[in-house]
Amino acid sequence: MVKYLSKEWAELAKKKVLTELDKARDLKNMNTSLLNIIQNVPPDNKTMYFYIKFIEGNLEELITSSDESIKQKNAEITATGDYTTFVQISSGQMSSAMALLKNRLKMTNKMKALTITKPIDTFNGCIKGIQTEY
Amino acid sequence: MNLSDVLETTKKEPHCGLCKIDFLGTGVCSAGKKHGFVAYWPEGRMELARALAENEVEPSVALLDVVNSCNLCGVCDRQCYFITQRRPTKAQQALKDYVTTLPPNSLKSTPEDEIVKDLRTIVGNNWATNDPIIIASYIRSIIKQKSLGKYYIVMPQTTEEIVAIVKLANKYKIPYLPRGNGTFFGVALQTLLAEPATIEQGIIIDLWRMKDLHVDPETITATIGPGVTSFELQKAAHAHKLRANVAEAESCVCANAQNLGIVTTWSNTYGWGTDNFIDAEYIDSTGTIQHLSDKDIPNPYASEQGLLSLSLIPSVIITKLTLKLHEILDDEQAVFVPFTTLPEALDLAHELAKRNIGISLAVLSRKYLTEFISPTHEIAEDFNFIAEKYLKLNYVVDVICDAQNKKIVEELAEVSFDHAMLKSLILGSSKLASMKESSLLKTIAEEENPLKAVFGGPMRKHFEKGLASSPQELAKVFPEDLRDFFEKLYSKPELTNPVWLHSFRILPCRMERKHMWMYRGGYMPGDKKTILKVIDALEKPAQTYNIDGAFGFLSYLERGKLAHLEYDYYYDHTDPDARKRVNKAIVESWRRQFAIKGVTPLEFICSKGLHRKEHILYPFLPGLSEEELEHFEELIETLFGGEDTW
Ligand SMILES: Cc1cc2nc3c(=O)[nH]c(=O)nc-3n(C[C@H](O)[C@H](O)[C@H](O)COP(=O)(O)OP(=O)(O)OC[C@H]3O[C@@H](n4cnc5c(N)ncnc54)[C@H](O)[C@@H]3O)c2cc1C
Repeated sequence: MVKYLSKEWAELAKKKVLTELDKARDLKNMNTSLLNIIQNVPPDNKTMYFYIKFIEGNLEELITSSDESIKQKNAEITATGDYTTFVQISSGQMSSAMALLKNRLKMTNKMKALTITKPIDTFNGCIKGIQTEY
Repeated sequence: MNLSDVLETTKKEPHCGLCKIDFLGTGVCSAGKKHGFVAYWPEGRMELARALAENEVEPSVALLDVVNSCNLCGVCDRQCYFITQRRPTKAQQALKDYVTTLPPNSLKSTPEDEIVKDLRTIVGNNWATNDPIIIASYIRSIIKQKSLGKYYIVMPQTTEEIVAIVKLANKYKIPYLPRGNGTFFGVALQTLLAEPATIEQGIIIDLWRMKDLHVDPETITATIGPGVTSFELQKAAHAHKLRANVAEAESCVCANAQNLGIVTTWSNTYGWGTDNFIDAEYIDSTGTIQHLSDKDIPNPYASEQGLLSLSLIPSVIITKLTLKLHEILDDEQAVFVPFTTLPEALDLAHELAKRNIGISLAVLSRKYLTEFISPTHEIAEDFNFIAEKYLKLNYVVDVICDAQNKKIVEELAEVSFDHAMLKSLILGSSKLASMKESSLLKTIAEEENPLKAVFGGPMRKHFEKGLASSPQELAKVFPEDLRDFFEKLYSKPELTNPVWLHSFRILPCRMERKHMWMYRGGYMPGDKKTILKVIDALEKPAQTYNIDGAFGFLSYLERGKLAHLEYDYYYDHTDPDARKRVNKAIVESWRRQFAIKGVTPLEFICSKGLHRKEHILYPFLPGLSEEELEHFEELIETLFGGEDTW
């Protein structure tokens, strides 16, 4: 069991994606970078960041951090929402598109985000397999 | 009586919520008034009877309380029969009989959990619950059918209580959702909008108790709480010879304001959206109270546009709204101009809009006219048939204006009719229906211009004579035990007064008598070409998926520069196949509407109502490109999931 968004969790997530997902079949050779801004993370309601970057379907970076300097990476898409929303998305209870419709996620570059929803959902489906303590 | 005996009725119950307001002067359900929760209102009893019959909920002790609180006084039958031809007392009787079949002492009370305890600390013991029976009464009018989530219902009375509820929801990390009268949900929850419009678990904040209402005749404004309905506000305004620009009687004004911005036939003069909103108090997602007039809030007019702006969950809860009211003129009158074709009707209506004629102005369909004014759906169908086949009356330009403008309309129109003829049509509707095969109607149909013959020519006298009827005559179409009531009701002048009916809007839910419907349409440039294109974009999918679709009404904004169109899909929401077809038709109609420049489908106005309309409708969107249209289905699938999940 690893803590959601911890360094160990990020390591496991990266390993899992690299070993289990096919960059063409599963990740559709996508080129994108996505910064999730996760608000109200317990126990002290701080903000955490979860950044991923893909080049041609290759996972280049997967970083979790509480340091807001990560914003300087200028991700192509940012998704901002509450911790509970991200838990629901990461554990496969709700798609990120539905969270958007339900007004639980604020997104920049929505059109691009929607074109990569399928591979991103596959990505989430993969990391959902990590034994995680939320 | 078994629950299954009334299942046909309870399943089709549309959740119009009119039983919660005193729109006929009968008073309302005393149990509902006392206990508040939907379960105690006729609407909720019907839903409970359905949910129990379909094994969606287990009975608890609360069921006894709900059932025993009804004394079968019959007020709800009068109200409900007038609108939807249903008799809630039958469902109540079935519930009473059902309770007697349960083994003694078999009902358990629902244990409190931490969340409900905390909610009760905020609002008092009587106004928060986690009881499955009370919760079940909210199914299909804010809770998605067959949802497995854990819900709480809370009925706050003050802004401060809502602040505390929002903070509590945040503490427990569960979502919350405000409910006015649930009528938007009643329609949307039957469609693919159900999932995005609801919460999968959490706290339902039923705002019904928040009925503060203050009219200030000096500033010609009203300030209201979120539980105030359109009817209640209109009544209070009329006491000062003022009028509010409000939609159908049962909708809560704050809900309507944030949801759709309140568009009506009066929008021709009174406007839409912030044209009517002066200030609002609202609570954001952190539980902070804000006001539209605060200088430091994020730009309240900023708003997204287009396909990806769809959001059906409000981002704030409005707890107080100050609206403009409008003075009622002494010489307001109605005038109706009948047409056979829509382009002709649009030409006249647009001309009037451009010249600012018509305090209320709309193009109304035959379907609306006949359904609204007929006392039963069967009569409406016959009336509809007669209007189409014999009278060639398919559209009406429907105007409320002063005496001077009435003259102008009458001069511009080849034929027209007014209050007196409408009264004859209302009281004589059953007589008219019985004339379906009459020689008089056949003779009229043979005229070169039947509309002219009936409403302007030599046949008018015969037609009026044929229609001549009285409230007593009309009352015969109602069940025997309700006839006295309906005779008295139809003797009241307002029931046949078009100005009153346009202001108080008690009739629109008659559309829900037979089947459910889904509103389609939206906002667009006011030119005829665009309007006709949009109608085609809505009609084609209805035809493709075998849905009964019909033009509803069109009103103009800003002197005809913009138009709001309502086109409806009628379908049996208890038939899974019909639901699938309607969903497909909705998606296809979005695709077609978004291809037209400047068109914003109705759903894409949702939750943007307090914002100034300019920021939603302008700049006119160019229409999706070929490439975007090619990916449309994929996009919809991404947003809403595949059709299996709808
Ligand atoms: C027969 C019929 C005819 C109609 N005609 C018109 C028309 O002519 N013009 C028009 O503008 N609309 C029309 N509507 C739409 C209707 O007025 C709106 O959908 C209105 O919101 C319904 O009010 P309600 O109280 O039932 O809302 P609900 O169904 O309870 O809620 C609607 C939405 O508002 C949210 N909400 C409720 N209260 C608040 C609040 N205080 N603060 C923030 N959000 C809140 C809910 O969460 C939900 O998202 C019609 C609907 C029907 C059924």
